Amino acid sequence: MAYSEKVLDHYENPRNVGVLEDDDSVGTGMVGAPACGDVMKLQIKVSDAGIIEDAKFKTYGCGSAIASSSLVTEWVKGKSLDEAAEIKNTHIAEELALPPVKIHCSVLAEDAIAAAIDNYRSKKQ
Amino acid sequence: MHGGGHERGMRSGTLATHQIVGMGEAFRIAREEMATENERIRMLRDRLYNGLNDMEEVYVNGDLEHRIAGNLNISFNFVEGESLIMALRDLAVSSGSACTSASLEPSYVLRALGRNDELAHSSIRFTIGRFTSAEEIDYTIELVRAAVEKLRDLSPLWDMYKDGIDLNSIEWAAH
Repeated sequence: MAYSEKVLDHYENPRNVGVLEDDDSVGTGMVGAPACGDVMKLQIKVSDAGIIEDAKFKTYGCGSAIASSSLVTEWVKGKSLDEAAEIKNTHIAEELALPPVKIHCSVLAEDAIAAAIDNYRSKKQ
Repeated sequence: MHGGGHERGMRSGTLATHQIVGMGEAFRIAREEMATENERIRMLRDRLYNGLNDMEEVYVNGDLEHRIAGNLNISFNFVEGESLIMALRDLAVSSGSACTSASLEPSYVLRALGRNDELAHSSIRFTIGRFTSAEEIDYTIELVRAAVEKLRDLSPLWDMYKDGIDLNSIEWAAH
């Protein structure tokens, strides 16, 4: 399996692994399924001004899935919710040089962002 | 010459004589060495198994007794197979995870053995042979233990298990 350097880097040194306390400033998105071999949990901590101050992830999945979710936690930090929602799986796949068979990992990471934002917004209602 | 005059008339017939002789020699060696070799391999396999079976949530796939001496197929629950293989880059192992065959389905063989999808995705197959040493087994045990621990720290499913949540009760948002 030809993993790119960046995927290996995220695998050896994953960024922002962990759990955020589940309060009103935190949005949690869990996507995927054990039956598919991919589950990503992404959490974002959002400031009152609507900026993502912190992000954490946990992932059950292959190296590309771990790398995709790790990368996403780096990318969403400092962004507004709208800006974070603009992150596309194609950007993730390109950054990590994912082969075609692993593109679905980047799609799942994009879904995780959407789910986390959705969850945060639902708490604000 | 009797026959079709093959091999430029050297001898008739298309039997691969050298391969037949080689096969016979291989069978002779097997008859003499297989029993002791099998025992040696079985001991190494059991050594590997004993180095791993005190970990939590570890399942052997298939019957431990009725299996060839050199095979160990184990599932480490809550850790996905391919990510474990990445940590075991120095070793030639394989996973039941179907990601490697460009399909998202888990191994139908492990499913037929009664494993659910998740355990099927979490399996690793180790095979031991004529040239495997005890040092390699010990090295493998250390590597696997460290990798499983690291990947469980990364795993949301491990967290849920530790919190006592039944994974079968969750409605997964798969796509």
